Amino acid sequence: MASLRDAEDTLASLLKRIGPHTPYAEVMAERTGGHGLRVDKSQTSLGPDPRLEGAAFRAWGGEFWMESATSGLDRAELERAADALVRRLAKHPPGRAPPGISAVTKGDRSTVAKRPFAEFRVDDRIALARHLYEIARSPGGIDNAIVTIEGSFEERLFLSTAGARLFQRVDRTRGTVVPVAMENGKVDWDYVGFGGTGGCEVLDDLTEDRILHAAKEAKELLTAAAAPTGSMPVLLDPSTSGTFAHESFGHGTEADQILRGRSYLKPLLGEMVGPESLTLVDDGSIDGAWGSIFFDDEGHPSQRTVLVDHGRFIEVLHDRESAAVLGRQATGNTRRADFLSRPFVRMTNTFIEPGSWTLDELVQEADHGLLLENCTSGIEDPLGGQMQIKVKKARRIEHGKLGAIAPSMALSGKVLDFLKAIRGVGKPTDFAIHPGYCGKGHTDLLPAGTGGSYLLSEALVGPA
Amino acid sequence: MTAPSLGSEAATRVADQLLRRQVPAPWDVYGELLERYEIHFNGTTREMVRTPVRLEGVGMRVLRPVEGKTGIGFAATSDLSETSIDALVADAEATARFSRFPAARAELPSRGGSSSEVASYDPGAWERPEESLEAYLSVLFDAFDGRVGVGPSFGSVHLIRSEATLVNSSGLHHRESRTEFDREVAVKAEGGPEGRPPGEYWVTDRSVRLDPSHLRQEAAEWCQKAQDVRRATAPSAGPQAVVLPPRVLSDILPAILGFRLSGVADLRGIAPKPGDELASPTVSLWDDGLYPFALGTSGLDDEGSPQVKRELISHGRSAANLYDLLHASAAGRASTGSGLRHSIVFPRFSRFDSAPGPEPTTLVVGTGDLGTDAELAEVAQEGIWVDQLGYAFPDPLSAAFGGEVRLGYRIRGGKIGEPVRGGTVGGVVVGGVGESSLMNTVIGVGRHPVLAPHLSAPTMVVNGLGVGGAESP
Repeated sequence: MASLRDAEDTLASLLKRIGPHTPYAEVMAERTGGHGLRVDKSQTSLGPDPRLEGAAFRAWGGEFWMESATSGLDRAELERAADALVRRLAKHPPGRAPPGISAVTKGDRSTVAKRPFAEFRVDDRIALARHLYEIARSPGGIDNAIVTIEGSFEERLFLSTAGARLFQRVDRTRGTVVPVAMENGKVDWDYVGFGGTGGCEVLDDLTEDRILHAAKEAKELLTAAAAPTGSMPVLLDPSTSGTFAHESFGHGTEADQILRGRSYLKPLLGEMVGPESLTLVDDGSIDGAWGSIFFDDEGHPSQRTVLVDHGRFIEVLHDRESAAVLGRQATGNTRRADFLSRPFVRMTNTFIEPGSWTLDELVQEADHGLLLENCTSGIEDPLGGQMQIKVKKARRIEHGKLGAIAPSMALSGKVLDFLKAIRGVGKPTDFAIHPGYCGKGHTDLLPAGTGGSYLLSEALVGPA
Repeated sequence: MTAPSLGSEAATRVADQLLRRQVPAPWDVYGELLERYEIHFNGTTREMVRTPVRLEGVGMRVLRPVEGKTGIGFAATSDLSETSIDALVADAEATARFSRFPAARAELPSRGGSSSEVASYDPGAWERPEESLEAYLSVLFDAFDGRVGVGPSFGSVHLIRSEATLVNSSGLHHRESRTEFDREVAVKAEGGPEGRPPGEYWVTDRSVRLDPSHLRQEAAEWCQKAQDVRRATAPSAGPQAVVLPPRVLSDILPAILGFRLSGVADLRGIAPKPGDELASPTVSLWDDGLYPFALGTSGLDDEGSPQVKRELISHGRSAANLYDLLHASAAGRASTGSGLRHSIVFPRFSRFDSAPGPEPTTLVVGTGDLGTDAELAEVAQEGIWVDQLGYAFPDPLSAAFGGEVRLGYRIRGGKIGEPVRGGTVGGVVVGGVGESSLMNTVIGVGRHPVLAPHLSAPTMVVNGLGVGGAESP
């Protein structure tokens, strides 16, 4: 199908078919695609992303939500899904009214790319990837380098029986270089990567200096001695402080978890949880940021939501149901990973607002401990309030100066203890939002930006 | 017995279109129709029911000679209209022109059939998906009846029926039917006079069969573990003996060994050579593509090559690696029936949207002679029995892993003791020359294997894994 708009009349007519069986119904139709390219020493592989399209119908069933979903946007497939939902609705009594307020927003928004990825010719993409590969291999001692360049789009059309009608197209571009070093059967690597909404302009940050630095660090990691473990001052780089903001704190602010009694943060709403220097935000409306969207999948516009304001925990992220139960407004955070996945309260771009400290000042302030760099992943513990974040490398801090590099490590401990121990937040020039994918539980990965500047606190670190 | 069908004709239709248009060989088309049934719950209340979630699509691959190498073209779509299939062919041919893979032209297999002879689906769940799922949930909730201060807080159960059809230019036509049951259950313990914060034990699992017969016993264990989380203290730090049960190992071994013992790693010079010492002599490892009712079990892989049981590590030494058709061709050998479209590291709903590559099916760790938990703890003497890691963060490239202990038990004097939580356990699964690793420091192997996602293994005792982030003893 050339455009989602071609299916709009069919989708609207099927909503009318579902309408008499429920007080509220909606449909989210989606079309996705893109191109990826990967170059390393053994092969050049490229391919279009799968061209997927389909729709998810959701209706209030009196006591809980009911859904059906299908791939394909032709009338027969969509009718099959709508009729399956009608049959299920018919089996249940009317029950209570749907929770919360149904959005009635109308809108039509698309990413504006300075240099659209679709206009980036395939041979030019390959030439760029090979150029980046050669840079990564140039220092010597680098056995391989993996270069990936990806451009993708997603179009979503949202219609509801309440009158909402929203179309959005979000384009994302991402590039990563992974120099790989090997010696005596031991393999290690480092990476540099950037991603955002927009086009090829995102790739301009993959500079020669940054790639050479990653290559140098990959080599050093091969022979790096393990760092000390235990409780100590830790200085998080922007990628790690962003993952902390997202995984360790952000997941506890998803209000569906609060309704389920699964958030360790629930009793702390309104309380001071950190120092004055700590402000933590989720903002899906940032132009160019990886996790940005125009509208969520309940029809609410994306927005900036301050979660922690100068140390005080003041707000959580809502869908229509949690907003109704907790007496708040929906925050534009109801997201589906795709038309095959259910909606949940999800983050968009989650970050710690920058402060005023330079990196040198923070290192001096720490005196000893570890600088944790290049976060590779993290996982939430919304009820237990423990944090778990893995970084690709660390650097010792000794007598107020940066020292030797150390291999991958994991950060753990209690989130609230970590927040209370914050001693400094880096300045705006070090602030960055990094691209990542977030799961809810063990599935439903979707793009989420994580960001911050440098952040100095105290935590437990161990091997990983 | 004939394998059941959802009536998907997409792959056959696309293949007919390719033959009509005389698209040059070699090519293959993988069509898939999936139906997923889901129930999400909050406590014991339904939160959302999704029936069905239906996805149908095709992935098409062409192999073209380019500059003495193979150009691999791959494209996939869920739009099955005639114009979309035209675009699919054009996309695949276009990407083949630009891609370069260091293999001589690979021959696609011509044998075919259906999957009825291998145990890859649950007949009852296939026939009555909604009723089976509802019945399972009912037994699950009943299993928590009468318990005070502990019960499910959140979760979901998913049942997937899928039918895949592989057709290629060599005349192969193979159909495969599968079921997959996924569950996620968070069990929360709270209340009581001690004033401790609530504790949660989180269970995720994937299997072929939907079997509620052990739920009552499992629920009792989960409740006990949620209670143990509440009273757990930090483990001691430093290298020590660590007991790793199958569920923990399944988050580590398939992701790392599945890559390091593959044609992909071989092509990049980081796979072991036959005879290389990888593990303790007590360790042997197979990949078993015919393991009954395991994820990935099938008569043929996703390229049409027969799946078998193959020894990868024999008494600690490398015996073989896993190859798909193209990586086998690059290495001058035959496919091991490991050309698969699933991902161990990032499990996905569908397969049609990924090109095949070397992946394990079910890694099988040979059993040892330690029978009971007490015997395993006796071997460990001092250390930690890890029940659950938050996430093991397996890194296939460096072979490193490590994660936070969500729940474990202290082992003192060879006896299992109090619960521990927090701190991290990590290391490398296979190391460089002379480097200590999980695989080469195994000091005990259990007698009873458990089937977990992509792994069948007994509990293993490892000596000297790093435990960090906690206070020293």
